[in-house]
Amino acid sequence: MKKGLIKATDAFERIVHWSLAISCLVLCITGLGMMFHSFNFIGDLMGGLKSLKYVHNFTALFFVLALAFSIKMWWREAGVFSMPEDLEWMLCAGGYLWHVDHPPKVGKYNPGQKMFFLTVAFFGVIMVITGFIMWFPLSLPVELVRWMYPLHALGFVVIFAFFFVHLYLGTIGSPGSLPAMLHGWVTRAWLVKQHGKWLEEMEEKGTLEVYGEEKRAAQGH
Amino acid sequence: MTNHYIDLKNSDCILIMGSNAAEHHPIAFKWILRAKERGAKIIHVDPRYTRTSARCDYHVPLRSGTDIAFLGGMIHYILTENKFFKEYVVNYTNASFIVDSGFHFKDGLFSGYDAKKRKYNKETWVFEKEGSGIPKRDMTLSHPRTVFQLMKRHYSRYTPDKVSGITGVSKENLLKVYAEYGATGAPDKAGTECYALGWTHHTTGSQIIRTMSMIQLLLGNMGIAGGGVNALRGEPNVQGSTDHCILYGNLPGYLKMPTASLDTLEKYLHKCTPETKDPQSANYYQHYPKFFVSLLKSFWGEKATPENGFGYHWLPKMDDGVAYSLMHLFDKMYEGKIKGLFAVGTDPAVSAPNTAKVRKALEKLDWLVGENIFDNETHSFWKGPGVDTKSVKTEVFLLPASASMEKEGSQSNSGRWVQWKYKAAEADGDAIPVGEITIRIMAEIQKLYAKEGGPNAEAIVNLKWDYTDRQGRYDALKVAKQINGYFLKDTVIEDKGTKTEFKKGQLVPTFGMLHADGATSSGNWIMSGSFGANGENKMAKRGKEDPTGLGLYPNWSFCWPVNRRIIYNRASCDMNGKPYNPKRKLLEWTGDKWVGDVPDGPWPPQADKAKGKYPFIMKADGLGALFGPGMAEGPFPEHYEPLEGPLAKNPLSGQLINPAIELFKSDLDKVANADARFPYVCTTYSCTEHWCSGALTRWQLWLLEMQPELYVEIGEKLAKEKGIQNGERIKVSSIRGEVPCVAMVTKRFQPFTIEGKTVHQVGLPFNYGWLFPKDGGDSTNFLTPTVGDANTFCPEYKAFMVNVTKL
Amino acid sequence: MKGIELVKLIDTSLCTACRGCQVACKQWNEVPAFRTKNNGSYQNPPDLQWNTWTLIRFQEYEDAGGKFTWLFRKDGCMHCTDAACVRVCPSGALYHTPFGTVGLRKEKCIGCKECVSACPFNIPRYDKATDKIYKCDLCQGRLQDNLSPACVKSCPTGALTIGAREAMIKKAHARAKALGGDANVYGDKFVDGTHVIYVLKEKPEVYDALPVNPHVPLSVMAWKDLLKPLSLVAAGGVLAASFLHYIIHGPKTPDDADNQTKEGGA
Repeated sequence: MKKGLIKATDAFERIVHWSLAISCLVLCITGLGMMFHSFNFIGDLMGGLKSLKYVHNFTALFFVLALAFSIKMWWREAGVFSMPEDLEWMLCAGGYLWHVDHPPKVGKYNPGQKMFFLTVAFFGVIMVITGFIMWFPLSLPVELVRWMYPLHALGFVVIFAFFFVHLYLGTIGSPGSLPAMLHGWVTRAWLVKQHGKWLEEMEEKGTLEVYGEEKRAAQGH
Repeated sequence: MTNHYIDLKNSDCILIMGSNAAEHHPIAFKWILRAKERGAKIIHVDPRYTRTSARCDYHVPLRSGTDIAFLGGMIHYILTENKFFKEYVVNYTNASFIVDSGFHFKDGLFSGYDAKKRKYNKETWVFEKEGSGIPKRDMTLSHPRTVFQLMKRHYSRYTPDKVSGITGVSKENLLKVYAEYGATGAPDKAGTECYALGWTHHTTGSQIIRTMSMIQLLLGNMGIAGGGVNALRGEPNVQGSTDHCILYGNLPGYLKMPTASLDTLEKYLHKCTPETKDPQSANYYQHYPKFFVSLLKSFWGEKATPENGFGYHWLPKMDDGVAYSLMHLFDKMYEGKIKGLFAVGTDPAVSAPNTAKVRKALEKLDWLVGENIFDNETHSFWKGPGVDTKSVKTEVFLLPASASMEKEGSQSNSGRWVQWKYKAAEADGDAIPVGEITIRIMAEIQKLYAKEGGPNAEAIVNLKWDYTDRQGRYDALKVAKQINGYFLKDTVIEDKGTKTEFKKGQLVPTFGMLHADGATSSGNWIMSGSFGANGENKMAKRGKEDPTGLGLYPNWSFCWPVNRRIIYNRASCDMNGKPYNPKRKLLEWTGDKWVGDVPDGPWPPQADKAKGKYPFIMKADGLGALFGPGMAEGPFPEHYEPLEGPLAKNPLSGQLINPAIELFKSDLDKVANADARFPYVCTTYSCTEHWCSGALTRWQLWLLEMQPELYVEIGEKLAKEKGIQNGERIKVSSIRGEVPCVAMVTKRFQPFTIEGKTVHQVGLPFNYGWLFPKDGGDSTNFLTPTVGDANTFCPEYKAFMVNVTKL
Repeated sequence: MKGIELVKLIDTSLCTACRGCQVACKQWNEVPAFRTKNNGSYQNPPDLQWNTWTLIRFQEYEDAGGKFTWLFRKDGCMHCTDAACVRVCPSGALYHTPFGTVGLRKEKCIGCKECVSACPFNIPRYDKATDKIYKCDLCQGRLQDNLSPACVKSCPTGALTIGAREAMIKKAHARAKALGGDANVYGDKFVDGTHVIYVLKEKPEVYDALPVNPHVPLSVMAWKDLLKPLSLVAAGGVLAASFLHYIIHGPKTPDDADNQTKEGGA
């Protein structure tokens, strides 16, 4: 690790993130395998579509846990908009879509990320509820059960689409972001550009942790 | 059946009464529905709305045990409304006969009643005769002592109001049925009746059937396509077993079991062979000696000689005036007088009435041999509920028998079609056909008698007993051929000038060729002709030709007698042999012969005074018997209440119950008539899903799934009164016993208004027993009384009194 | 019967509820029986089950005029042309056969139960032990061998018949007309026509557990016709948009990105 890198995330945060990400991905892929006959072959990789169903259903349990931790962990940071900068940021789309000289400085998570979090949280919960009803539908009113399927599918549409947005912006769309979820250390420049307000806050509070420098506070997160 | 199943489709009006045809004869019901498709009216008269009612034009509920009142009312209607077929009644029935002046009917009793014996002296139940010995007739039917006038007077008491009060059938419904059915009295209309255990299971069962026969004679429905009185007989080969004398009073082919007082063959034949002086009466039973001697020859072969009366004295004889029915057997067993029992394909511990008495009786046996596919409550009585196993000394043997599809043989349907069938599968384990069991046991007994002697040893030692094949196994074909009969000498038969020669050992091709001198044998005369002389097995014929278009299918199997598909068929034509209904031409006289079905004899029609014969050839007088002195309780059927009923007095007379029935007197034969403790009429029946006592079907889990346990059907009003919920477990009790069961609360049982009072009826199936399934309930016959029909001793399972209570 | 579109006709006016069909179905298809209780009705098992693919429903019915009838209806798969179950089945276990019926490849069923709620007639039943659903396949094996289904074969009264679709529909209408009154044909109009049709003696709404106007549920259409394609469109759209964003607008890079790690290994 290079000296001067700043710690953006701790290990727990990253574990939760990847738990959610991987389980979500597995669910999407296995879900696809069940949604389209042309993707039935995905089941073959798992020893049949029935195994795929079990992979899907039991990964869902893992997803539930990851989602619960995610919501608990990120609710404050990513679930609440902080005004007015978030609004301003949104008005200029964070500078992603057109040239903006100085996008408003935002906290640890920008409003785009917050929206993604909220979407994942909201639709994640929907997926969990609808999914469980779909798993155990037999004692429930059929009219209720029937609507679980399109809701589940709707959640899939949204999450699947957002997943690609997230993938793009977390990698090549926003270079320098990925390390935050890999090893947790990011460059000051990236931080200045992306989360200026947070950097300032950390510096003010003295919670900033810089690689190779003595830690000034007991804990970051 | 006088007719046959397929013929039901030819009817214009089908009265289903005493039968739940759709549930118990589901295949036969197809033909009833075919008639309905053609526009026939289908009427169901039954206490309960059943699956049959659901497919009929209308259902008319009537209180169990009041069928004679209902039908008597119909006779009254037919006579007063002039619905009868006069030409038929005058010429083809004994309506015009003049009855003896000593004959009378007063307050429910006919002349000659002996109250002590509960029997009639029938000497006044006879016709006045001319000097020539021919019965006197008044063809105008106006003489006050003609059968017609007596009948009219007898049934004049059966007014719609009276009948409605007894049966609980509304007047409107009565008249609707009477009008609908009475309309078949038109010469070109056919009405038929289907009955089953709903008529036979009564103290008045035989008379109910006779009442219907009278109606059919009055309407000219007997002997025609789409007509007749049709017993829908059950799956357990009831027709075949009856033809082969399952009833105690019969020998094979409905020949009569001799009694002790008929100690010589001559006396016996004299008693059993009817006579007539009327040259126009064929009196076919004049050939009785031929049938009987041929039977004896089949029993004892060479050992039966003219000198020893063909072995007549070896035949067991019944005591005079004593009956040996199922109920009598268990009564005597309960008394301790019967020590051993062979229970072959039967489960009386469930199926016989008054189960408590039957099961106690079984405990008194020294030994019991069961032959069956499965164990049942009878073989296992010693470990049944409430039995002190240690105190039972009976030795029980259960011999495994093969099922019907596991053996070759014949099966007879209700239409008298005897159909040969082949073995479809090997039996499990050690199971063998009961025929084989019988052959082996008798062979051993024969050896023992030969060695050790014993009472009546000759009968057994001399028995012709060669029914095994080369491997020593039971040979069904050999038995069937013996039943058909053989020529025992070279014989020449002359018929209309042509001579046919038969060699010794050839099969007899028809019972008309049987001899009374020992020249032929036949194990059952009515089956004579089931083989051709050349050995052709006619029972195996499967030709589908239908030349008359009436569905007679003459080339399909063998039908007794002589392949006649509809008996009394000469009555379908007028006196000149022209069919009454040219559209359903069953038979026609073409001037020199009959064309169509096999006629009741080759003689010309009745109009030919020289050679012509009357149509009812099995009757001594040659005519249909509206006046029937053969019955135990009178020549005209009369309504009597069941042994147990809701009424203390018969609304029609001072005679409450059938005066001729035998009353059993053991301590377990309790009766509670018009008793407030048991206020509800109860009836029992089977269900489609099970067969008889259920001893075979309860092991079949697919069937058991559909009808898993004993239930009682109970009307909504009664259930409400009693606070009983649908599906609740309740108790049904009679004075003899009780059964817990599930309450099936239904709209299909409606209360009756009997003599102005509301009477509820309930009903239970009789298909369950404690052995299996364990939680399926026990025998319904804990409730039923030991009492039966006065003529046949068929038990009364259909009308008795119970109470229903919440558990 | 090979290669033609078939219809099984259930003529309720000829049914005697003997339940030969119910047993024949189990026998031919080798399905076991359950130990049941009598619940105060002849109808047993009380409902279709994984081991009961056809069931006679018994219903005591009194019309407005007080006229009583006992209605019998043979319940079971209707074999829809537009079959919701086939639409939702993820594995292709449920499929349309050349006879027009809905077949079931049991080995393919993954026990997802989606068909259970999708079916407008409430037919498929799930078995926990095998984790599969079961329903009538109109004895497809028998049809392929030119035999009638076991239920039809067992029917003593002719209430069940099978034949070419057009002919059977014609026969049904002729029968309904002959019966008169409220008699009607049920099954030839909705879900593009079913391959089991009824001649009902009473109006459809009279019968228990019989939908008056069955259709593929809206939810199924929303899902299968709308959201399913939408999911691909959305995902594809996002991928395309991202690509366009990258090549048109370019990534959002830190201002002094020259000496910093951009991407790569953790």
